[in-house]
Amino acid sequence: MKSSKFWVGVLAVSALFGVAVTYWLGLFVTPPDVIQGQLVRLLYIHPSVAWVAYLAYGVTSVGSILYLWKRTRSLKWDRLAAASAEVGVVFTALTLITGSIWGRPTWHVWWTWDARLTTTALLFLLYLGYLALRKVPAPRDKIAVRSAVAGLVAFIDVPIVHQSVVWWKTLHQSATVFNASLSPKVHGEMAWTMLVSFISFTLVYLWMTIKRYQIETNIDEFDNLEVEAAIAERLREVDGLVNSKASSGTREGGPKDGGSIS
Amino acid sequence: MAELAKVDTKNEPTAGEGVDWKTVKSLRSKSATATKAIVVLLLIAAALAFVIYKGISNAIQYFYTAQQAVAQKAQLGSKTFRLEGIVVPGSIKDTQSGVDFEVRFANTIVPVVEIGSPPQLFQPTIPVVLVGHFQGNYFWSNQIMIKHTANYVAAHPNRIKNAGGGS
Repeated sequence: MKSSKFWVGVLAVSALFGVAVTYWLGLFVTPPDVIQGQLVRLLYIHPSVAWVAYLAYGVTSVGSILYLWKRTRSLKWDRLAAASAEVGVVFTALTLITGSIWGRPTWHVWWTWDARLTTTALLFLLYLGYLALRKVPAPRDKIAVRSAVAGLVAFIDVPIVHQSVVWWKTLHQSATVFNASLSPKVHGEMAWTMLVSFISFTLVYLWMTIKRYQIETNIDEFDNLEVEAAIAERLREVDGLVNSKASSGTREGGPKDGGSIS
Repeated sequence: MAELAKVDTKNEPTAGEGVDWKTVKSLRSKSATATKAIVVLLLIAAALAFVIYKGISNAIQYFYTAQQAVAQKAQLGSKTFRLEGIVVPGSIKDTQSGVDFEVRFANTIVPVVEIGSPPQLFQPTIPVVLVGHFQGNYFWSNQIMIKHTANYVAAHPNRIKNAGGGS
């Protein structure tokens, strides 16, 4: 068995290789579209980064539920939820940015307040709020509980974003791949390149989330070490105090612990 | 591990006189104070309120189709709104200020006077969303947006050996 570090490395290399292949297929191999011309090449990045955002928030929700459920409650689920949400926010921002860059030459506007764009902007802000909420100082388990609730509330917007093009009249086109009949309206090399881009960006997501999760774990471990060090230091002080007071005849009870996390 | 993190300042045992308690700040919140985090949250809440307001006032009735617009012409008056239709082939005429053309939805045709130059994908039979208002029988538009379909077809179909049933 190789170490997990090795497999994360393999994942990283595959993700970067996949993105490189996507670029090569998307920019050099695939043909221009009959109407959009070269602008069609957005198809190989925008839908896949949007998919990763959905996936990331889905994982955040799963992590949140597993944390809230008493039987599976563990900070590792909270760390996973946090890591995934952070990557999700990055990919939502990428979705908005790539869409806007494409919208200008295709639609003729950078932005418009149609249902798809508006609900996506909401999604970005909701999870940005989730990340900000995590920064409000509180005991560690309290942070985890309130984030889990916030993460689940924010997820309500994900199906709304996806269905927005069906429920309302929008400038944004309807789904090409995940449509009601599940028959992608894109063919040949274009479809294959799209598939490669979906896989590649999903690998990038996995890699980024694992790395982010490891950082979260390190922070928790570091905090615990600091608390332990503070306790040890405090106990030494108390010992000294007790000894000096014992010699003068007064004795006070020593505290059970001396550390606190704010 | 988690148990230690639960320690709260409020539950600290009373310290003996002259004993200073040390507070261990989490690495997580070292750069963030409560005030700072709450200010950021409020800013995000304000942005959310703005986006929801924009959504309610625009996205729910994002456009009227040419048919709906003509049916509700009296109510719409000279109000600015978005109108959707397909550019009628053969109706496009360049003018000094922009372009004149017609849009159609089902059997309803609306003549359009566009001020300003049309987008690069503007062409016959493409669906468009126009921003403007009625003036007489004409729809005066100052912005054309192209409403692209979700279909993608290669411009050189011969480069694809089997296009999976694509025309």
